[in-house]
Amino acid sequence: MKRIGFLLIACFLFFGSVIGCSNAGNKKTDATGTPGAGESQNTPKSGGDAPKSNEKVKLTYFSWDPSQEKVLNEMIQKFNKENPNIEVTMQSYAPADYWPKISALAAAGNAPDVFDMSSGYVDEWASKGLLYDIQKLVDRDIKPENYFTSVFSAVRYPDKEKGDMYAFPYAWVTTVLFYNKDYFDKANLQYPNENWTWDDFLNAAKKLTVDTNGDGKPDQWGFYLYGRYAHIEPWLYQNDGDILNPDKTQFVINENGKETLQFLTDLTLKHKVSPAPKDVKGIKQEDLFPMGKVAMWVDGSFAIDNVRKVAGDKFKWGISTIPKGPHFKQQVTYGWPDSYSISKNTKHVEEAWKFILFMTGEARGAEHYQGGKVPVYKPVALSKEWLESDKQPDNKSLILEQGKYIGRNSYTKSWSEWRGYGAAEGSGLNGELDQVFDGKKSLDAAIESVTKYANEVLSRAK
Amino acid sequence: MKRLRFYRYHAYLFILPTVVGLLVFRLIPIAVSIAASFTSWDIYSPPQWIGFDNYAEMFRSPEFWQVIRRTLAFSFFFTVGVCVIGLFFAVLLNAKLPGVPFFRSLFFLPVITSVIAIGIMWDWILSPQFGILNTFLAKIWNDAELPSWLGDPKYALGALIGVYVWKSAGYQMIIYLAGLQHIPHELKEAARMDGAGPFRTFFSVTLPLLTPTLFFVLVITIIQSFHTFDITYAMTKGGPYQSTTTLSYYIYQNAFVHYRMGYASGLAYVLFFMTLLVTWANFLLKKKWVNYG
Repeated sequence: MKRIGFLLIACFLFFGSVIGCSNAGNKKTDATGTPGAGESQNTPKSGGDAPKSNEKVKLTYFSWDPSQEKVLNEMIQKFNKENPNIEVTMQSYAPADYWPKISALAAAGNAPDVFDMSSGYVDEWASKGLLYDIQKLVDRDIKPENYFTSVFSAVRYPDKEKGDMYAFPYAWVTTVLFYNKDYFDKANLQYPNENWTWDDFLNAAKKLTVDTNGDGKPDQWGFYLYGRYAHIEPWLYQNDGDILNPDKTQFVINENGKETLQFLTDLTLKHKVSPAPKDVKGIKQEDLFPMGKVAMWVDGSFAIDNVRKVAGDKFKWGISTIPKGPHFKQQVTYGWPDSYSISKNTKHVEEAWKFILFMTGEARGAEHYQGGKVPVYKPVALSKEWLESDKQPDNKSLILEQGKYIGRNSYTKSWSEWRGYGAAEGSGLNGELDQVFDGKKSLDAAIESVTKYANEVLSRAK
Repeated sequence: MKRLRFYRYHAYLFILPTVVGLLVFRLIPIAVSIAASFTSWDIYSPPQWIGFDNYAEMFRSPEFWQVIRRTLAFSFFFTVGVCVIGLFFAVLLNAKLPGVPFFRSLFFLPVITSVIAIGIMWDWILSPQFGILNTFLAKIWNDAELPSWLGDPKYALGALIGVYVWKSAGYQMIIYLAGLQHIPHELKEAARMDGAGPFRTFFSVTLPLLTPTLFFVLVITIIQSFHTFDITYAMTKGGPYQSTTTLSYYIYQNAFVHYRMGYASGLAYVLFFMTLLVTWANFLLKKKWVNYG
């Protein structure tokens, strides 16, 4: 009896590795043994190639988006049909389960052949030797003019400029300013544009913060600031600020960075145009804007899908770039690609690569990229179907333009720990900023304690 | 008729599945995690032996001690809440009144409801924006600044304990109820004939006879409170700013968000020894107050 508590925990801790062990049995070794037998024709163009061997190559693919399961399965069936010698099977898990599961599998040497890879984890996984270096395959098969190659840097390792690619992007997103056109019209304000400064933004936000029922509390906020990475970093970079040193080995908030954080803090505490985190607890952060509670909001362009679903036709809305700070130097968009990686342990590199090419190329139509995700394959991204001009927002092309300015990001090894990610969102930088926005701690004190904490984490991660 | 004969090894054969399960899924992981707690291990790469560094880091870290204090506070209030409220309802439902079976199942309902569903429901109820509770309170206190129950560290742990008590108390209630029904009716009748009122009867007859049940409930509740995880995950994710992170949730964060398996294993052992210590103390103190009649 007394040990139950402990037993449960211990089980919990090792459940992952047990799964890893049990899955080992599932993986059938290829009888021929030679990797890519029959695939030595160097052009993995889809279709046409008659299968030479009767031995079917089995590939496992892991996805972190169960909501896309149906669409992905259609793609996979199409691929399996076109390539009778390859059989791909998919498993998908929600992100919270995906990473523990796939990490345990990778640790046991049983990572799936192809799997979804986040830009935030590429460095960590590549440094541990878990990812296949696909640079040669890219050089051989990819025509650069057909792809948004500017986002490739996110998946290079060890150097973001000259390193080899360890994953292949299929879609990328940027961060945008969502705004409610109806509220702007009602307040007789001009819509945000690319030349907006912080002052323009603040002016509008003040006018858009309205107390409709006269109880002294705003019922409509001008802006909603959510203190997470996709919501803070874009402001930093539009003010030439940073929270890391150039080679990302140390957590240092520079002067422009401090200025940005101060401005963002003032939005909640001084100007009261944005709700404090504690006042919106219990509502999903991505639902506040589509519910019409706030007039402006910053998040990744992937949120377009949710805004469409929740807001419906209730109001008109658009997207714009993040306003420029006083130390603005050049347009910097905070954006990142989502990618596919090939496991270092796979026996079927060529087949896996062929599958990736299929999933990232023209076979995958615009309808497979919900809302604000931009296909990395240009002909699809630049198609009318992707622009969806019949749907809101009517200026999706803005995201395409932003692609040119994707620059810095804050991903490092152990990023989730110092940033305070997911189930640990109360810790790290997120927890500190929430305390500041709730008025529980001064910004200076928060910067001091998070700098110490983050640098401990970063020095341990080296 | 041919008689079936049983040999001793038959018995072992029958317990084999359980023993194998226990060994593979529990005892071996326990053994491995002892070793793991002396390593630095991110699960992608092989563990590195670092001796007592994990424990040293833990005992030096102010965050760790905060977590321990919070865990103890959580356990104390949760245990008291569940034991008292469970007993209260058990006594009420022990009465022979019409409709009692209905209420018994009603109060047991939260126990069998999924924690995730309960978490989402209470998150709404307690939300400062459209939450039912604050809407209701606002009708009573018109202009008062109402708290954000789960968003303000002053109230978050209390709110979490409240919800968890609400969810759990039904289970303890059922155990109490079983204990209450074992108490011979004659004893209560005799007390009444001797002139004892209902309160006196309860405290002098019922409660002493219920102490073995109370003891059992206390032990399991304390253990339950030490490893609370799911309700925290569903409602606060340890926030706001870690103010509801108790030890078992802290273990999860370290193991499955930060991938510090070695450190998390060390923390798991701290939890183990805490549980062991409290349970041992419980058994020591048992002689003083538990009445086996």
